[in-house]
Formats: sequence, C-alpha cells, structure tokens
Amino acid sequence: MMLPMRRVLYCTLLLGFLYPSQSVRLVAQTSKSANVSYEKDVRPIFKTHCFQCHGESNVIEGGLDLRLNRFIQKGGENGPATIAGDHKNSLVWQRVSSGEMPPEDSHLSPQEIRIIEQWIQLGAKNLNTEPESLDNNTYFTQAELDFWAFQPIKKPTLPTINDSTLARSPIDYFILQRLQDANLSPATAADKTTLLRRLTYDLLGLPPTLQQMKRFLANNSPDAYEQLVDELLISPRYGERWGRHWLDVAGYADSEGYTDKDIKREWAYYYRDYVVNAFNQNKPYDQFLVEQLAGDELIQSPLSDLQPADVTLLQATGFLRMAPDGTGQAGVEQMVARNQMIADTINIMTTSILGLTVGCAQCHDHRYDPISQKDYYELRAILAPALDWKKWQVPSTRRISLYTDEDRQQKTEIESRAVIATAKRQKQVDQHLDRTLTEELIRVPDQVRDALRAAYKTKSDQRTDKQKALLEEYPAIGKIPSGSLYLYSRKRAARAVELTKIVDAREQEILEQARDKFLNNLPQEQRTILTAAQQTKPEQRTLEQNALLKEAPVMLADYATLAQFNPTAAATIKANRQIIEICRTTNSTEQLETMQKQVDAIRAEIPKEHFIRALTEPVDHAPDTVLFIRGNHDTPGDKVNPSELDIFAQFIATNIPLKGVAQQTTNRRLTYAQHLTNGKHPLTARVFVNSVWKHHFGRGIVNSSGDFGVLGQMPTHPELLDYLASEFMDNDWDIKQLHRLIVTSSTYRQISQRTETLDEVDPDNKLLARQSIRRLESEAFRDAVLAVSGLLNNKMHGPGIPVMEDGVGQIVLGIEKLDGERINKATGNLGGEEHRRSVYIEVRRTRPLAVLATFDIATNAPNCTKRASSNVAPQSLLIMNSDFMVEYSQAFAGHIIKQSNDSLEDQIQLAWKTTYAELPSTENLQALLTFMDTQIKQFKTEDADLDDQVAHRKAFEVLCQALLGSNQFLYID
Amino acid sequence: MHSKSTPDNTSTESNTTRRNFLSRVSLSTIPLALAFANEQPLSAKPVKPDLGPRNFDLAAKNSHQSGTATAMISMFMQGGPSQVDLMDPKPLLNKMHLQKFPEKIKYDNAAEASSRIFGTPWKFKQYGKSGTAISELLPGLSEIVDDVLVIRSMHTGVNNHGQSIHAMNSGRIQEGRPALGSWVTYALGSETRELPAYVAMTDPKGLPVLGVLNWSNGWLPSLYQGTVIRPVEPRILNLNPPAALRGKTQDNFLSLLRQLNGQHHQRRNRELELDARRTNLELATRMQSAAAAALDISKETKATHEMYGINNPVTEEFGKRCLIARRLVERGVRFVQLFTKNQYWDHHGSIQTRLPASCQKIDIPAAALVKDLKQRGMLDSTVVHWGGEMGRLPVIQNDSETKNFGRDHNTYGFSMWVAGGGFKQGGTYGVTDEFGHRAIENIVNHYDYHATLFHLFGLDAETVTYKQNGREQSLLDGQAGKIIPDLLT
Repeated sequence: MMLPMRRVLYCTLLLGFLYPSQSVRLVAQTSKSANVSYEKDVRPIFKTHCFQCHGESNVIEGGLDLRLNRFIQKGGENGPATIAGDHKNSLVWQRVSSGEMPPEDSHLSPQEIRIIEQWIQLGAKNLNTEPESLDNNTYFTQAELDFWAFQPIKKPTLPTINDSTLARSPIDYFILQRLQDANLSPATAADKTTLLRRLTYDLLGLPPTLQQMKRFLANNSPDAYEQLVDELLISPRYGERWGRHWLDVAGYADSEGYTDKDIKREWAYYYRDYVVNAFNQNKPYDQFLVEQLAGDELIQSPLSDLQPADVTLLQATGFLRMAPDGTGQAGVEQMVARNQMIADTINIMTTSILGLTVGCAQCHDHRYDPISQKDYYELRAILAPALDWKKWQVPSTRRISLYTDEDRQQKTEIESRAVIATAKRQKQVDQHLDRTLTEELIRVPDQVRDALRAAYKTKSDQRTDKQKALLEEYPAIGKIPSGSLYLYSRKRAARAVELTKIVDAREQEILEQARDKFLNNLPQEQRTILTAAQQTKPEQRTLEQNALLKEAPVMLADYATLAQFNPTAAATIKANRQIIEICRTTNSTEQLETMQKQVDAIRAEIPKEHFIRALTEPVDHAPDTVLFIRGNHDTPGDKVNPSELDIFAQFIATNIPLKGVAQQTTNRRLTYAQHLTNGKHPLTARVFVNSVWKHHFGRGIVNSSGDFGVLGQMPTHPELLDYLASEFMDNDWDIKQLHRLIVTSSTYRQISQRTETLDEVDPDNKLLARQSIRRLESEAFRDAVLAVSGLLNNKMHGPGIPVMEDGVGQIVLGIEKLDGERINKATGNLGGEEHRRSVYIEVRRTRPLAVLATFDIATNAPNCTKRASSNVAPQSLLIMNSDFMVEYSQAFAGHIIKQSNDSLEDQIQLAWKTTYAELPSTENLQALLTFMDTQIKQFKTEDADLDDQVAHRKAFEVLCQALLGSNQFLYID
Repeated sequence: MHSKSTPDNTSTESNTTRRNFLSRVSLSTIPLALAFANEQPLSAKPVKPDLGPRNFDLAAKNSHQSGTATAMISMFMQGGPSQVDLMDPKPLLNKMHLQKFPEKIKYDNAAEASSRIFGTPWKFKQYGKSGTAISELLPGLSEIVDDVLVIRSMHTGVNNHGQSIHAMNSGRIQEGRPALGSWVTYALGSETRELPAYVAMTDPKGLPVLGVLNWSNGWLPSLYQGTVIRPVEPRILNLNPPAALRGKTQDNFLSLLRQLNGQHHQRRNRELELDARRTNLELATRMQSAAAAALDISKETKATHEMYGINNPVTEEFGKRCLIARRLVERGVRFVQLFTKNQYWDHHGSIQTRLPASCQKIDIPAAALVKDLKQRGMLDSTVVHWGGEMGRLPVIQNDSETKNFGRDHNTYGFSMWVAGGGFKQGGTYGVTDEFGHRAIENIVNHYDYHATLFHLFGLDAETVTYKQNGREQSLLDGQAGKIIPDLLT
C-alpha cells in the first residue's frame, strides 16, 4: 500500500516542479492562435489536473467526466459544466477560478484559467470528431499523436546553403542553414593543438600523450585529422570512455541500494566489462540492444556448461539487473521491493533506449505524453516472464554460475578433505573446553568442586536450583563456552602461575596431613623428637636424627614421594600439574587458529566460482500480467497482453508472443528488442545519436536527452537529428562511424570562443555557431590527473577497485578490514590497482569516491540520462588541499623531472605540454620561473638547512599542483 | 519542517548573483568535511527510490517552539566510566566488600567473571550548594556541581559497546541510523557559512568503538554528516592546507593558480562558468582561513590556557579540544562532539590505576569548558554533555590480586552529567539500587534523554522526521521517549 502512495507523491512533486515551463508554453500557444480548442488547449490542462478524479480509471466524481467535450457539455450531477459563450455561468470555470477545484494545494495558474475562459467565450469547441466511446481504449487526440518524436524517421535531403565551401560533412549543411537564417556565420576552425586535446578527451577521456601530440603536429598530410580520429577509435581506452557513458543510462552499480545497507553486488562487473568490450569491438548498436534485452533468449549451450559466446550474451542481460534491488535484503517488504525493482527496470529501459518517461504511467495515464496506464502494463508484460513478482528469485539464488562440470567434481573432492580437518579441530576444541573446566575447578574450594563439575556437566534445562545457584556464584565456570575460549587463553602464563600456587599450597597441605596422621599415632615424646629432626636443616642433623627419620620416611615426604603415602591425592595433584603445564605452554587460541587456517587452506584450493548477474527466463513460463489500479499491486485490475506502446504500434505492427514454443522461453523480450531495432522505430536511433552528439558538443540536439516527450525540449535541429539517425541505421548501427561523421564535421572543429553578438543571439549555443567550452567529467578529471602523473594503470576488466571509509568517513580506495569494533585496519595499499581508470572503481550507491563525487557522478536512482556539472567551492578546496591532489602532483613532478634534463625551463615546458597539450607562451614561462624562484626562497626562509635540490623539488611539486588545478586543465576548449 | 527556514541570514555575497549555477550541486556530491551552509542545492536527486525531489540545505532554521538551546558540545566518554566510583556513591558496596553479590548479574567477560562485591577504593564528598556527592577522582566536576545535573539512572539495556553507543548517539541499538548531531543539524541548519555545521573531534590515540559510524548521517543526506577535526594536521580534510602548503607557500601557490586562471580567462572572458570557478576559489580560501582561525588558540589568554589545563602535559590534549569546541560554537557551529580514544573508560582490569589516569586527563578540561561557557554567557544556550555508553558492575572482574581488579559492563543503570542550554542546574536525577547496579527510580532511557534534549532545542523528537524506506523516520523511531520536566530549569 505504501509504495503506490509514494509514487503519486513523487509524480505530483515532479509535476509541480515542472509546472512553470508548461504554462509558459500554453500562453505562447494561445497568443498565436485565436482559435482555442478543447483538444489543443484545454484538454492538456484537464489531463494534468483533473482527469484523475474526473474520468480516468472509472473514477468519475460528481458524475463529471472531463475527457471529452461532449461529456463536459452533458456535465455531471450539477448539470452542464460549460455554457458556450458564458464562462461566468459555466460551472467548470466557476470551480477552477474560485480555487475550489482542483482540491487541496494544486490550483490552476491564472494563465490556465484564462485559457479556459477564452475557450468557453469562443464557444467551447472541439476540433475533431470525438470517439464514440472511451470504454476500452485510451483516447489520444490527433494533436498528441502528431507530436514530432512519435513520427517515423525520414531521411531529409541536404538543405541548400549559400557557401558550401564551409561544409565538410552533411552535418554542416544543417547547421549552416540555421546559421544563415539567423544571419550568423560559423566560427573558424580551431588550431591543431586545440583539436587534438578536444578529440582525445572526447573519444578516450584522457589527455593526449606527448607522442600523440608530436605525431599529430608533425603530420602535414591533408587527412592528418582523420588519421588521428581513426587512431583514437581503435584505442581500448575508447571503450572505457564510451562504455561509461552507457553505464550512466543503464544505472550501473556494484551495490544493491534500496535500503541504507546497500549490500555489495559482487558480480555486476561482468556487465560493465561487456559494455566496455562492446564499444571497443564496435558492436552494432542494434545487436548491442538485442543482447542486453534478450541475450538469454539467444544462447545455445546449457546454463550448466556455458560456451564463451553464450557467457557474453548472458553478461549483456545484466542491463535488466542494474536497478536497485532490495529483494535480497532482510526486513524489506518483499512484494513492494519486487515491484519497485520491476518499475525501476522499466524506467531504466525506457529512459535509456526510448528517451521517454514511461514510468509516469505506472499509476495513471501519462499526464503529458500519449502513454496510457494500460500501455505501461503491456510493456511490463514483456518483462513479466523473466521478472515475475509472484515467482521471484533473490539475487543470490538467480545468479548464473560459470562453473564447469570439471570444476564441480574438483570441489566435491576438496570439500570432503575440509570436512575431515574441521572434525579434527572440533575434537581439539572439546579437549580445551574440558581442560579449561578442570583449571577453573582447581581454583574453587574442595567442598564444592565435585558439585560444580556435576552442575556444569548437567544440561542447563535439567539443572537443579541448587546447581544453578552454584554456577551463578562461580560465573567463571558457569559461563565457559566454546566461543569465548580465547578469553581464558589470553593471560595463560599468569593463569598458570596462579594455578600452580594453589596446587603447591594444596600439596603442602596434603603432606602435612600425612605427617600429622603418622605422628598422631605416636606417643608425645617421639612426636616431639621426630618433629624436631624434620625441622632441622638436613646438613645440621645428627646421625641419630637421620636414623630416626629413615625409620619414618613420611616425615620427609615431598612431592616426589607423596604417592607412597596418599596415592589418590598425589594422582590428582600430578594431573593438575599436567593440565597447568598444558595451560602454560599451549596457546590454544593460536593452535585453534592454525587448525582453522588449515581448513581454510584446503578450501582455498577449490576453484573460485564466478557468477554472472544475468537475467534469464524459465522455460514455459508465461504468467498473467494485470494492470495495478493506482499502481498498487494490492489492487489488481484487468489482465493485459504484452505489447509495444500504442503510440508506436500505430506505425509498426508488432506481435509480441504470449507464449513460446514448448520447452522454450516466451521470446517476448527478443521480439520486442528486434522490433526496437528493425529500423522503423521512431525513437531508438534518434535517442542514441542524440546522446552521442551530446557528448561531443556538451548539449544534445534534444537537450533533454532522457525525455523526448511533451515535457522535454524540442530538437534544435530536427532534420539533422533525423539525418544522423537515418545515416546511423543505414550504416548498420555502426557507432564508430557515427563518431567519425560527427567529429570530422566543420561544426565540431570550430573554435569555442564566445562573441558579443553570439552571446546576445544565442547564449546557450543552440545554433552551434561555435563549439562550447566543457568541463571534464569527474572520471575524465581523475583519469587525466593519473595519466599526466605517469601513474595510470591501463589494466582492463575484472572486479571493481574497492572503496572504503577512511578514518574520518571519507570514501577512498582501499580494502576495508573492520575489526569487531568497526575500526578499519586497512592498509590502503592496492598494489597499483589504485591507479586504474575510474570506470573500474566500484560504484557503491552510498559510497561514492570522494574525488569523483566532488566533481559530479552519475546518479543511480535508478539511472542517469543527464549528469550535473556543478561549480562549487568544495571543488576548489579539493584542488587546494586534498591528499589526492598533493600525492598526484608529487608524482607528476617526479615524472617530469625524470624525463627532462636539469634545466628548469625544460622541466616547465614539459610539464606545461603534458598538462595542456600546448607550448607555454613566453609570459607563461616567465610567470612560472618567477614562481619557482619565489617559492624556493620561501621554503629556504622557512628552513635554512633545506637542501637546494629538495627545495627545488618541493617548489616544482607545488607548480605541478597549480597546473593540475587550473581551469585550463579542467576545461576543454 | 524545512520550509521554516529563514532565508535572509545566510544568503549574502556572491552566490545570490546572476550565477545561479554556483549553487547547483546534488547532495550526493558534497564530500565529507565539506558540508557548508553556503552550498544550497537547488535540486537534490534522490538516492532512494522514494525520496522524490527535495531540497536540503544547512541554512539556519527556526525550531518548532522557542528552545533554550542553540548549540551542543558532547564529550563522549567511550568505554563506560564507572558510576559507582565517580558520581553514584554506594556505601553498601564498601560494607559488603568481597562478599557474594546477592542478585543476578550479566557479565561480558566470563573468563574473568566473579560474583564478589567490589567496594569503591575512592572517597566521596558532597559539594556546592546542591550538595551533590562526587568522587575524589573528579575535582574539576566538584567545582562546577551547581551548574550541572548528574543523571544517575541512565539505561540502554544492551550489554555491549557498539549497540549501546548506537542507542546513546543515534537513538536505537541498530546500526545505520543518523547520529544525534546529524539530526540536530538537519532540523536546525547552521549559523555559520564558513565552518562545518557538525563537527566530530577525535582523539590522537585513535577512533572510538564503531569508528566513523559515530558521526554518520545514516540515511539522512550526506550534508548532515559530521566533519572530523583530526587531532593531527591537516586538522580538517581539504579545509586545512597540506604540510608543504602552509602560510606564505600556499599564498604563492594561490597567486600562481589565480595567475594561470586569469590568463586562461583572458582568452575566454565571456565564460561565466569560468568566472564562477574563480569566485569559488576565493570562497574556498576564505573557508580555509575561517577554519584556521577557529583552530588557532594562540590568542586565547594565559588564564584561559591554564583553566583548560593546556599548560599541563596530562590535560593539554583534551584541554585544547575543549577550548576549540568552545571556539567553534562561538562561531556558529551547531553541534560538536569530542570522543575519547578507543575504550578509554573500559576498565575491565586494574581500575585502581587506570580510572584515576582517565579522570586526570579529562576532568579538569571538561569542567573548564563549563566554566568558560558560563563566564562568556554562552552556557544558557549551549548544552554540555559528559558521559559514555554504559557504566560498570558493582562486582569484581579479574578476581586475582587486588591490583588487578576491574569492573565489567553495565548498561542497566549508569551516570552522566549535563549542563547548560536549559538543563537544570545542580543536583541529581534518578536513583540506582543500593548496589548501583540497576536504575530503579526515574529511569532515563536513551530515548527519554533524546526527547528531552530535542525539547531544549525547541524540537519535537517525534515530528522531526525524514522519509526513508517509505516511512517518516524520527530519532525516537516509535520508542516511547518522554520529555522529563525534572531535567529542565
């Protein structure tokens, strides 16, 4: 019950948030047109604010249905809602203008009320004939259906432009035409160094190396730039860069999220590696999508013995497993968590591939786009056989093992050895427990010893009250448990000394008892003589005394001879001493630990079992899908069949199968994926080319890259978008070719400088009369710092580099080793892993790496179609003072000094070139030389003994930090 | 509750100018140590599916009702100071010394458990007008008894450190919830733009049990996480310059950075984004000097230094932290918590030498803090808290030689003291049984303490809520915490 309420709230908040732009649009529309119609002007207002209670999902409050003009005229319980030409007497106007409707806080804006007023005044008309009935179908008006994004893609012809010499690529025709219309000229081409830096960061997310720079600047051939593009596109760094862009929209995470426990997702990285490889292999985008949506429906080999190609296909399905998933966590409401995971998966799928906020139709018809609630559940039905909320598998049970049959056999054999070793250890534990009991019993008075032993050995539920009381009085015995053996072993030396004292005393006592017993049987006189003899020091005894004592050996009895006089007591004492000796000499904690290590060592031989976090569908499984009224799974509505959204189905017939052939999966997802990529879908190609464009220009042709719907932004160049989409599909969805097309254009190669004119006409650079200055994304910034410092480790793939909380709670790289008190004993040494690219760092939802988080990372609740690019003081503080900057600046300085001769000028030149991919100007050079001079002097002032070389090095490190922290490094022209 | 902010007392300076992107930051991007009042996120992206777009900031906010307290300094005595040896005298223990304890008892360490009673080795005396009995181990406290209220009936009921710390410091025994300081800053924001709103000050010898969870924001936005002032340089991460960049050398660095950015900007002088970034560098520099100024105690008078025991090697370290805590609150920091090192008060053995040592380090500076706040007129609005997560048992632990005697854990009745901010001045509250084992009268559960504390801040501990996992969560989280009138002035 809770979840759907949250949904409603969320959507309401979202709508409230977006509301102003909507009313602006409406005003603009009405001012243009004197014909105010129901469909175009009034219905969007009613749909947003009123349908929920007046028409939708069979809720018709007051008998008033606002979904058709006809219904409005008929009105509800209080009569007709409109009186054409008389808004003041029209009920609907009265209710909204008084603020009575909509109820509660969400009133209509004055503009909206004015539109309704105008509409009624002009006759309260509708444009088209209205449908006869709304009973079974959701009704969308022609205006809604005509929205640009839902129209088929048509490849436009190139526009004519005045000066075709300015154009290098078809793209430029579309851009130049708009510029021409606006009386603007394109900017000049950027110089080679600017282009080199821009292109390398765009394609690889890294700065150009000195070698790349040298090669490119020396290459005077006319296609030197095109050669560079090709060179960069074959670098494995390309897949890491562009893979990360895709991971943003896929909502990649190495943790489950959903609750604050945010448990780790151990095997998610197989999906990340799939994505990186797909981009590097230039996997066609259609294939890329089909594999991610339905890879499991394409595999040939059995899940228990997978072939490598099929492993790849299953890796791809990780896409449908990226949403936050609380279903494996204790204490969550399972049904809520499952449905939330499904809803988030639908959100990820539709925002990333379709660029539509389909998720808004979960609880009610989409307020703006022609997507009905029924549509939503029909789409959900496509996923239902694999994501069946009534027959759910939690993450740990649904993962797919990569074990082979041979691995399994090996495991069984090793495990049987481990069991034997474990039993051996348990036997040892039992012995130690027994011994500890005996030790403790030594300490207690004789009279309670046996009773205590018996009490301890009695099962706790069978103990008498007396026994219980006894054990309470001697808690050290009562509480001997196997888990706390270490407590008794901790101070074993002192313990042995203490126990020995007790035993010594007891022995002495027994000896005295034996003597007393002997003496008591003698006459008083003899007693005295014998006692005197015994108490005389041996060397001072008379012969007579010795003879007497020889006759009475008990008088000289000691530990060695005690057994002759009291064998029982002697045996007990001997046994006690042996136990004390074991206590003193045996470190039971260590011994048991060693034995545990032996067990662990045996188990370590078991080949590590890897798993894929995949999505698979059971065969012959086609559960019913029903619509959830108000999105609430507790209130099921009508059954729906799997289907594409109606808005697209009108152009392309799709037939999503209900059931598959026997012993197979349903093929619902495969059919849907093939439908999305058959070349006729209006959005698949548009959305993807737009996102590629966005990463090359800083804004998309559709700037709201995750929302191509009514609330999104209109494309700045609709024909160009269609041209790119068509071209992309004509080239078999070749992504690298798409990059080539874009980056070789004149448009891309322009300088980024703003001008007064452009700032007046087009401050946001929508028309692209120049390139845009862009800040490095967080990953690019961190990777670039690693690269210039010479430490970047290009190792690819595998488990994420672990993140942990350091001593102050900051998230850093390192392997967390929390002790029982949650104090982290980590060393932080990752053996070079810490210098790997950011795409390989664990993405824990609640543990974003500090340096990345500071410079904005992808949100993953559930995914991110557009990143923030913030500009805040903590970023400056990080640049000034963080360990990250200081450490890498030191490495950078060392790297430069190692590569250059002793000339400071050379060092500065090299550092500048490495950082900015250009040579410093004379002023730059002079400024840095002056800085070095001042800073070295300062260091020497502070420490007169400072070695020249050390002072130089320290100053140079600071210089390097300034370079890395400068805006020129952080921004691409 | 967030809607009751007072917008005008924080929005000065450049970030209200045309460049609204200056304030464009999502919550998750604010790193630890850098949560400042001036970073007011425009739109917070939800971390959890149910949050929706909500705005969070650290601007100062009015509380529900007018409260007496505006800030708090908590001295967290991790490990569990022995109440029967410090502030809850029990003559019967000395009468029955070494005899068998007549009741049931719960031990933590079975191997060293004993059922024999341990009378306190120290003398108690009554002090001040209020006549509160205090042990000879706490001469500092005995001087301020008329300003503090000793609560002798604290109760959390969970016998280990971690859970009991959670109870005392984040409201429930479970892990993962926001710390007290996070709640207070979430509810009230901060009075300073240049210093963190919520500060945790750790001991040079290491972190307390539970480490960084002690100042965790739990599921509250990371904006409300405690910022650690470390015992070593750099004292505040990213806010204090690194070793090689102090003073003049950093000035040189900054002027070089300005020069580089200036040259870069010359060719791009229409980029407002670059302007903003240069402005941010200046703001960052100001934050840095504000932090440095707050930490610099050299200008405090000799008398102040002496009062806090900074001239004495034994009290110097804790004295400095107490003094800095006062300076932070003076500058508008909302919540400061000082932690003793790992298990500093966990005297399982040798209590007769170790407890006096712990007291000697802590007592004089802690008392000085109260005196200092009082003489500056800050005590009325600043809550001071001194206490740990538990107390100790009336029986011997480690019953071998007398010098080895210690005391095991006890969370069923232990003591702490509070002062200022509207807490009652002088006297005691609550009673433990005649052995000091269990609280029997006027029991103060952790949630009662929290309800009362929030009340002093003008807050209702049940209605200050945050939506998490589909429900409105509060510090009390449904526990029946009651405001205890007798704790108030």
